[in-house]
Amino acid sequence: MAVSKGTALVGGALASLVAVAAVVMMDGARSHAQEPQSAQSLGLQFHTFVDSRGVTVLSPTIDLGKDFTDRTGLRVGFGVDAITAASDSCARCHEEGANNARVFVNASIVRKYGDTQVSVGGEYSHENFYQATTVSTSISRSLNQANTTVAGGYSFSWNRPQLHPDEIVENQASHSAYATLTQTLTKNTIVQLGYELGYISGYQSNPFLRTTVDGVKMVGVHPDTRIRHALTARLRQALPADTYLEADFRRYSDDWDVKANTWSVGLSKEFSPRVTLSGIYRRHGQAGAYFYEPFYTGSPQYYTADFRLFPFDSNLYTARGIFTPHDGLMMFPAGTALTVQYEFYQSTTKFEAGIFTLGVRMPLPHK
Amino acid sequence: MTRTTTIRRVLAVLALVALGAGATACATVQPWQRGRLSKTCMQFSPDPALTAFAGHWQESREGAAGGLGLQGGGCGCK
Amino acid sequence: MTRFTIPATAKAIALQLLVVALATIVLSASGNARMAPAITLPDRDGAKITLESLRGRVVLVDIWASWCPPCKAAFPAYDKLYRSYRERGFEVLAINVDEKRGAADAFLNSQEFQLRVLFDPKGTAPMGFELRAMPTSYLVDKRGAIRFSHEGFTEKVLPQYRSEIEELMAEKP
Repeated sequence: MAVSKGTALVGGALASLVAVAAVVMMDGARSHAQEPQSAQSLGLQFHTFVDSRGVTVLSPTIDLGKDFTDRTGLRVGFGVDAITAASDSCARCHEEGANNARVFVNASIVRKYGDTQVSVGGEYSHENFYQATTVSTSISRSLNQANTTVAGGYSFSWNRPQLHPDEIVENQASHSAYATLTQTLTKNTIVQLGYELGYISGYQSNPFLRTTVDGVKMVGVHPDTRIRHALTARLRQALPADTYLEADFRRYSDDWDVKANTWSVGLSKEFSPRVTLSGIYRRHGQAGAYFYEPFYTGSPQYYTADFRLFPFDSNLYTARGIFTPHDGLMMFPAGTALTVQYEFYQSTTKFEAGIFTLGVRMPLPHK
Repeated sequence: MTRTTTIRRVLAVLALVALGAGATACATVQPWQRGRLSKTCMQFSPDPALTAFAGHWQESREGAAGGLGLQGGGCGCK
Repeated sequence: MTRFTIPATAKAIALQLLVVALATIVLSASGNARMAPAITLPDRDGAKITLESLRGRVVLVDIWASWCPPCKAAFPAYDKLYRSYRERGFEVLAINVDEKRGAADAFLNSQEFQLRVLFDPKGTAPMGFELRAMPTSYLVDKRGAIRFSHEGFTEKVLPQYRSEIEELMAEKP
């Protein structure tokens, strides 16, 4: 999870972690709340993220899904992000580079009521200059002999970024509500439509990234509210010869005038029950925020140096292998899956990153 | 964001939901025919931890966020 | 004094109600007495097995697939039931509905079992039983009627299976 923060560092300052961690917090808790049906398993993953601006993130995570009764299950997660950065911005103040470590823990309880499933969860994370607390809840209902699933959820995050090098603690509140409809069309085709509405209020500037206003380097100033919309359409299609197509599309917009289209397409081939290989391409293109300028003159109300508010395009290439040895993996039991993944990311902001993931997921006995 | 735009968005979502609801009426996949649908490759988020990780670093680089990583599908087992 | 008489129509209606009530009582003696569908499916050796040929025995019909985790959890439990009661005329038909035989065989090769496995890649059995969820098991009585059914599987339900099996085995064919 912390990799996201590391990437923020790429932007050139520890403070990028603030915004990144906000995203991490929101999605961290939500991902657990939204996936209550994942099989009972114990997962260990180790991520490394190395980018073209000198940031390295090492992130071990562990997650556990366990059903304690027929109707009640628990999902817990724990992780650490160890970040080392030697980017230009950091080096201005920290000649040795800037290190950080974020610790997060999350948990959610899932309860079934017939074909309805309800979850309640939360997450807490702590790191240098940032703390976040999230609570989330979701409900889903399976209809039409499991051919239709309707789901909805809400999460709230209270985020407390600390300015740097000052010690002023700011506040940010983030609300997010979503709804999805998943529909089986044939025994080979499934689609999903989703909509998410987000509302963020409070401090949303990045205290570490500086832009030029009338020739003077200044920390950006962003509006203190933001309304976000994301519409998604996703498809999974089984093809002949144990091959599977995945295609996703997201249309995003917000009231800062950031508009983005993100789509991805991938193919997976199941060579045997033991080996599955996948290749995925993802393309993202976005328009910049209405107050974005390469540099500013006069007395602008808002100005930014946050690279996430710039106009740019990006490409992501993913190669993934999942291996499930017949007799288990080393000390792990039969059914344990080994995931090996490499991703290469490049954007028109001349940013590049390589991300490597090694993961082990072992099944827990079904009760 | 103007009120008109918001209304248009809400209508678009409702239209999508209606489209989906229409699709449910003709769905004929029986419980015993879900073998392929239960495959890992047919899941929208087969490994939540991996999905969360990807979402996080992408959202730390890009201005867009949300809408992905939601549930549904699978083997439909009791 | 006016003599009270029952109209013929009312008598007919009363008679019909009596017949319906009696029929209901008779049927309730065998639960929801829907008859099990006719099934003819091959076993592992290719021999055709029919459900009708097992009349006179209590049969647990389990419809399962290798892609269904609770089905795989139930399989050894049903085999245990089979071993417990087979001497008393109990039979288990574990009907596999995988489209590809290889997937079923891969699971079966990892199991030690004695119950009878049949293969139904076209899903004729679940269609006949009007199955609504995977897994579902049906207890069929000695006369071929579906008396109990269970959707899903947990170990906690096994005592209930045992009492139902005992109840059906105590009945006369």
